[in-house]
Amino acid sequence: MSVPQYRKVAALALVAGLGFSLTACSTKSDDGGDTAGGKVTISVDCQPVAAQKELLANWNADVAEFQKQNPDITIKSVSVGEQCNNPPDFTARLAGGTMTDVFYGYMTDLQQVLDSGKAMDITEYANKDTIPTWDSVDPALKEVFTDGGKLYAVPVKNYSMGLVYNKTLFTKAGLDVNNPPKTWPEVRAAAKKIAALGNGIAGYSEYSAGNTGGWHFTSLIYSQGGRVLSEDGKKAAFNDAAGKQVLQNLKDMRYGDNSMGSRQLLQWADLLTNAGAGKVGMFIGAPDSTQAIVSQFQGKYEDWAMAPLPGQTGPAKGTLGGGEGYFFKAGLSPDQVKAGLKWIAYQKLTVGKGQLDYARAKPQNYPVGLPQPLLFTNGSEAQKQELELRTKNANVDTANFKIFEENPVPIQGEPRNAQAIYAVLDSAMSGVLTNPNANIDALLKTAEEKVNQLLAAGS
Amino acid sequence: MAQDSGTRTLVSQSQLRRGRGRAIYWTLLAVVVVGFTLVFLGPLYWMVTGALKSGQEIAQTPPSLFPKDPQVQNYVDAWNNLKLAKLLFNTFYYAAGAVLFQLVFDTAAAYSLSKLRPVLGNVILGLMLATLMIPAMVLIVPQYVTVIDLPILHINLLDSPFSIWLPLVANAFNIFLLKRFFDSIPEDLMAAAFVDGATPLRTLWSIILPMSRPILGVVAIFSVTAVWKDFLWPKLVMPSPETRTVSVGIYAFAGGTPMNVVIAASVIAAIPTVIIFLIFQRNIMSGLTAGSLKG
Amino acid sequence: MAVITAPAPAGHKAPASPAGGRRSRKLRDNLTGHTFLIGAVLCFALFMWYPMIRGLVMSFQRTRRGETTWVGWDNYIRIIDDPSFWIAWKNTFYFTALALVLGFAVPFFVAILLNEFRHAKGYLRILVYLPVMLPPASALFLFKFYAYDPSEAGLFNAILTALNLPTSEWMQSPTMTMPAMVLASTWMNMGSAVLIYLAALQNIPGELYEAAELDGAGIWKRIWNVTIPQTRLILALLAMLQIVATMQLFIEPLILANGAGTQDSATSVAYLIYQHGFFQNDLNGAAALGMIMLVVLAAFSAVYVRLSTKED
Repeated sequence: MSVPQYRKVAALALVAGLGFSLTACSTKSDDGGDTAGGKVTISVDCQPVAAQKELLANWNADVAEFQKQNPDITIKSVSVGEQCNNPPDFTARLAGGTMTDVFYGYMTDLQQVLDSGKAMDITEYANKDTIPTWDSVDPALKEVFTDGGKLYAVPVKNYSMGLVYNKTLFTKAGLDVNNPPKTWPEVRAAAKKIAALGNGIAGYSEYSAGNTGGWHFTSLIYSQGGRVLSEDGKKAAFNDAAGKQVLQNLKDMRYGDNSMGSRQLLQWADLLTNAGAGKVGMFIGAPDSTQAIVSQFQGKYEDWAMAPLPGQTGPAKGTLGGGEGYFFKAGLSPDQVKAGLKWIAYQKLTVGKGQLDYARAKPQNYPVGLPQPLLFTNGSEAQKQELELRTKNANVDTANFKIFEENPVPIQGEPRNAQAIYAVLDSAMSGVLTNPNANIDALLKTAEEKVNQLLAAGS
Repeated sequence: MAQDSGTRTLVSQSQLRRGRGRAIYWTLLAVVVVGFTLVFLGPLYWMVTGALKSGQEIAQTPPSLFPKDPQVQNYVDAWNNLKLAKLLFNTFYYAAGAVLFQLVFDTAAAYSLSKLRPVLGNVILGLMLATLMIPAMVLIVPQYVTVIDLPILHINLLDSPFSIWLPLVANAFNIFLLKRFFDSIPEDLMAAAFVDGATPLRTLWSIILPMSRPILGVVAIFSVTAVWKDFLWPKLVMPSPETRTVSVGIYAFAGGTPMNVVIAASVIAAIPTVIIFLIFQRNIMSGLTAGSLKG
Repeated sequence: MAVITAPAPAGHKAPASPAGGRRSRKLRDNLTGHTFLIGAVLCFALFMWYPMIRGLVMSFQRTRRGETTWVGWDNYIRIIDDPSFWIAWKNTFYFTALALVLGFAVPFFVAILLNEFRHAKGYLRILVYLPVMLPPASALFLFKFYAYDPSEAGLFNAILTALNLPTSEWMQSPTMTMPAMVLASTWMNMGSAVLIYLAALQNIPGELYEAAELDGAGIWKRIWNVTIPQTRLILALLAMLQIVATMQLFIEPLILANGAGTQDSATSVAYLIYQHGFFQNDLNGAAALGMIMLVVLAAFSAVYVRLSTKED
């Protein structure tokens, strides 16, 4: 290429590049929700990703149907990744103000969302007119999203943790599928038998990284009757007999019996990948972890069943519960808020529609019949209809979850400042799972100091 | 291939041709060729074949050398589920823009500082060079806050390619390299051009730039590498799946995707750059080596 | 030659009038000079100089519920009191030191070796540079999933078992975490350093080796007395750049160690900044930590420059 020609090309590229980027910029600016001519546009996140083919198709069908019923409302779906709320990304979106008009969050996110100053008080909008089933929604769930008497989000899912176990491995190891372990010593004994199958199978598997270790520690200590924070939330409360027992149980299984496999430092996907590959006998999780195992990690529903969380000597004294909801971005017009509520009502809180359209989900590779999402008050009209429809269309053996459902354990929420505390507790979990000589007292003491420090400085 | 020049290196040629030296030379060469192939190509082989294994096969002991039952589906899943085409397009788009912006703005600035020398030029140069020692991590939070809400303009640059392009222009190392190169261009040429009445822009365009191709190549390579290698910054400023770069996209999906699919995605993501590298390797290597020294 | 072929401007402009025009011409020249600077200066101002000040200001503030207040040294106190603070610094320094031994010395000797070969030169260079082409996340996932698998299904452990050597738990062992991260990091980054050294080696005049050999210097002595002094400048520059780069250790712990690693053995200062800013919703604390890092690195650079200029 001769010199002048080369320059011409470069100049052209420059102009083209600038033009391109400018258009890229201008398309970005007009995506805000307008209410021009009575039409309302709202953006909503947590659209399923492409990998979840059927869920995505369902979602898109829901959007189409909803827009047909409400010609004035346009829903803009945004997918934010496989995990709708990945803490660092969520924080970044919140700080940057780039969340959608109606955005997904965990129950524990309320403080953080309020701190950002970017959430909207929706108390006056959430009622029977916008959400027909509103009065049936469990008041305890509404309470979680309420601060100072003001409601900031609509709950759309609620779960509690139990003991998830692999029936196939149970059978192979000569254990009774219908009589899963009820106490931690029984879990230990069962884990030992399952691990004896060899082939890299872990009898019991547990998290210890990416804040998930702390999350599960919380559930484990609840099962012992312990707490993570003191009543007033100002001091760490896990450095006690209950906390020690939690770590001792893990240490005994990991190094005493060698029944937890050699791969540790697991976080969310790691454990479920192993479970999908048939390498995990038991773990603690919510009912929908079986859904993730099947839809994302190539496992099979027939393999999995669920029991209530074990306790040390009898049933668990408590279990960790949590859930999800949709927040509203500050500055939306009343019409937009109403449109958002209508959409949530349609897609999440109407029996027979959206996530509760069990007839549609039945033939798909997603479970119907899990004891979830537990949104409606026991005995309310909506709850009865939901249960009836769910049982009628169940595509997983509801017997698998029967023991779990029939033996409810008291549910406790996550501690304040959960993510920061989980990060600290991760190191106690990884300590006991990767170091045969771990000193449990020292691990807990260090973690306690860290958490106290964090609480003293944080608030 | 052999004998690229007669220059003498650490060990003399003649010594290598004689009996014992010759034997040592060939043994060493063989060891190094085999060793390097294992060390640098081996993992890539493991990656390509590992992505073909099933979840069960990956977990088996000892690991198998060839996939027993190749699962091409892993690659298909990776391509579709991660929307790799989009991720790759984004990355190349950002890289191309970064090259363009850096070349235009940094060259202009270095030219001005080297040849036009306006008042306060040295102060500005000093302020720029002062940032040379400031690693990206130190300013990540304030930079992020700035990009969210640009001072005075109050524009939010999140998810806009400008949030990658413009900060890269503020690269003191490039300015330093370019200025040193321009400094080495004799003043006489400039003076002659000015006498002819050429404007500074014309002089830059027709005298300086044609002479500076090697250094411009180096700056271009550096900026492409910077975009390709950067992780945390694009992770923060491109929070939407549609705007992610390859590296960030793969990381984001790793949290909910079986590992063989993650690895398959990694393989696919590496293919275009490896091809580009193999095609242009002569230019890249000579550019890198020549430029970094002369500059 | 480009100068000769460059087309002369069509109409010669009249030279500036000799009288009176001097000042205005100077002004105009300055104006032109600054016009050329403006793009880069604006970018520096927006993305370097302003964030520096902003970072400093932020580190003395706290934002809660959308409201910002001045809090004095509170953020610094909170950050330093955090038990992870010292662990993170210890880990970061350890990584930097290890990376200097491995990531700095290895490429240099690889370059010296490659420079001696008369065959397969191109092939070897491409090999060494190949990992640089991988997206960093890909390269690290490769290590995480295959090489560092703690069971015997892992590549490294399979090799060790085959050689009858004791296996390691790699990222699960607090003592192996850092060396394992340095190994992965060196593998994926050393290509560029090797190329730069190779170029520097090619510029060493052969006569110097000749003379040294005549004086009876062996290979090691020649490396010590000729190669190293001749490449001192580039070695010093790369050492400096590498230290600054490794002090920002982030993606290795994030991917290989899922963040903090076992018992905090992988927590780095950069990871702590990320953890504070984006996990704990504490951008002010993260800004303060960034400022502390800036001071440490500035002090280091000052000492380094002082030392390296003294030698001259």
